[in-house]
Amino acid sequence: MDLRYLMKYCLAGIAVAIFFCSFSIVSASTPNNGKEALGRTLAKQAVKKSKRWTTTNHAKAEALNKNFKTGEEITKACLTCHSEAATQFHKTIHWTWLASGDKSDMRYGKAGYSVNNFCISGNAMEDKGCVKCHTSWNKKGDKGEVNCLKCHNSSGFNFDEAFSDIKSFSEDGDSDTDEMVPDIQQDVKNAVSKVAFPTRKNCGECHFKGGGGDGVKHGDLDTSLTKPNRMLDVHMGTDGKNFSCTRCHTTTDHNIAGRIYTNPAVETRKSLIEDDLAPKITCVSCHSDAPHKNDSKMNDHTDVVSCQACHIPKYARVNPTMTWWDWSKAGKLKDGKPYHEDGPFGKPIYKSIKGEFKWEKNIVPEYFWSNGSLTSTTANDVIDPSQIVKVSHPVGDKNDPEARIFPFKIHRGKQPYDKVNKKLLAPMLSGKKGYWTTFDMEDAIKTGNKTLNIPYSGEFDYVETTYAFPITHMVAPKENALNCNECHIRENSRLSNITGLYLPGRDKSTLIDTIGWLSVIGALIGVLLHGIGRFFVRNGKEE
Amino acid sequence: MKKILTLLMVFMFTFAPLSAAFASEGGGPDGNKRKGKYTYRKVYKACAAAGNVESATPKISPADKTMAQWKEIFESRNFNEFGCADNWAALSDNDILDIYSYFYHHGSDSPTPATCQ
Repeated sequence: MDLRYLMKYCLAGIAVAIFFCSFSIVSASTPNNGKEALGRTLAKQAVKKSKRWTTTNHAKAEALNKNFKTGEEITKACLTCHSEAATQFHKTIHWTWLASGDKSDMRYGKAGYSVNNFCISGNAMEDKGCVKCHTSWNKKGDKGEVNCLKCHNSSGFNFDEAFSDIKSFSEDGDSDTDEMVPDIQQDVKNAVSKVAFPTRKNCGECHFKGGGGDGVKHGDLDTSLTKPNRMLDVHMGTDGKNFSCTRCHTTTDHNIAGRIYTNPAVETRKSLIEDDLAPKITCVSCHSDAPHKNDSKMNDHTDVVSCQACHIPKYARVNPTMTWWDWSKAGKLKDGKPYHEDGPFGKPIYKSIKGEFKWEKNIVPEYFWSNGSLTSTTANDVIDPSQIVKVSHPVGDKNDPEARIFPFKIHRGKQPYDKVNKKLLAPMLSGKKGYWTTFDMEDAIKTGNKTLNIPYSGEFDYVETTYAFPITHMVAPKENALNCNECHIRENSRLSNITGLYLPGRDKSTLIDTIGWLSVIGALIGVLLHGIGRFFVRNGKEE
Repeated sequence: MKKILTLLMVFMFTFAPLSAAFASEGGGPDGNKRKGKYTYRKVYKACAAAGNVESATPKISPADKTMAQWKEIFESRNFNEFGCADNWAALSDNDILDIYSYFYHHGSDSPTPATCQ
């Protein structure tokens, strides 16, 4: 063999060896030799211990071994040991229902000017239908005592009903019911002793049923998450990690980590490696910002695409969620009486007291740039009724370093607005003067807006609105994450409405495409000419 | 003829108040529903104590049927599906009216459906 050919073969061999070596070096730099993604390894370390422990048996607590007659008496008993609990809790949004935590700033919050396109307003805690989810006893709102058991009791016992029965039986003068009181008090005592860390059921009693029923509001939070399997949520699945809500929604002084109206859940994404006291509320907290295997192209996405965008391919995967609520259709009667009609999924599609609804299941999210904040249109903001009003909408664009492409549920509907003042209205729904009793929207608006001290002109109509919910629960197993061609495709890309970036596969630039094709054709012609040239010239020389 | 009329009168005066109580204003019973809830629970506590059912928590809840279905069951006094027949037989008419009121007013199509927990 010619020496020159031998050298050529050697050089080719070296090139191939370098090519394969580069792969093995990349793999070797993974801490676990490439068997598992770094993000998984870190997350496993972050949640190693699964059992919480306590030094207290509340069943033995002297203060709780009493015949309680009211919920307030139970709270007093709790505070004999947990002396600062109520003081701490009074400063949280779970108590104030105000984003600011202070009544001097009513701008955002259920107890403030915030509205949505479900039951619209909390009417400054005057709507008792809403206040049943407040963490106080007897629907007294922030004027009452903290109901510690709402979050810290695992019995599922209906304390409010029991105390109401005790009161009624003690006062009705019936000797039969007098005998029932000690039995009820014993039931109360048994239930009180079941003090526990908040369970999924405790949180879910309000957060799974927001908007007036199971799955009405969020789409990624409903009663299917009370006992989910791994396929529904890899973190909460009882056949998997079995996380309670508080595993990620960590707490400081009774302040629970999570998004609060316009404020993002966290200002910056930090992993627990950077700050071990950081809340575990973001994916990055446990999985880091390079969660996939080192050689994975996916890691190049994390500065633009949120984890949720790929790992929650659809939401409302078990129970349906409401997607449309039209208040303009409310108030119809049959034979002079209110009625309701059920539709697909066994869910109501019409209720005289609420209007018309639509429900859907297995919904593909809508995607927007989001830096974790949301803009809100409150009952005190001026709107343009000729447009669809965005009551809540994500904030962010591609130039915002904190923004990522994020999945959302957009709930659409029609709700009343003031035709003169051009503001969304806050009708009172429950109670004697509420719409659900009177079916008089005009009167309900007058009563409702009065609770917020917002003037009403006396003329109203209905305007179409949207409300955005970030989709962040119901994380699917990795094998069910999105494929590349769900987004990187010309037709029907999931990211078809995302602007401001060039998305290969989805986007087309005539200039870039022309340059590209010219390069390819040019290279082919060059190779061809070069080959032909060498064939003739060399052949001649060698011969 | 006179005897028949007398019998008819006796029948009317005996059963009219009872049927009026079972079917009061709006077709619903007007017993003490709050009391009925605990009387109903007591039936199953006693039944469980006697070993006739496994759990003292009643299996049937008002929200399991509509108001019309409860009306049919209680007006026909057919309590077979509740089990614990001896305990039901020991209840007074007033007790049953109270339980009926509890079930009827918390039926699945009532404004406040109730479950027994």
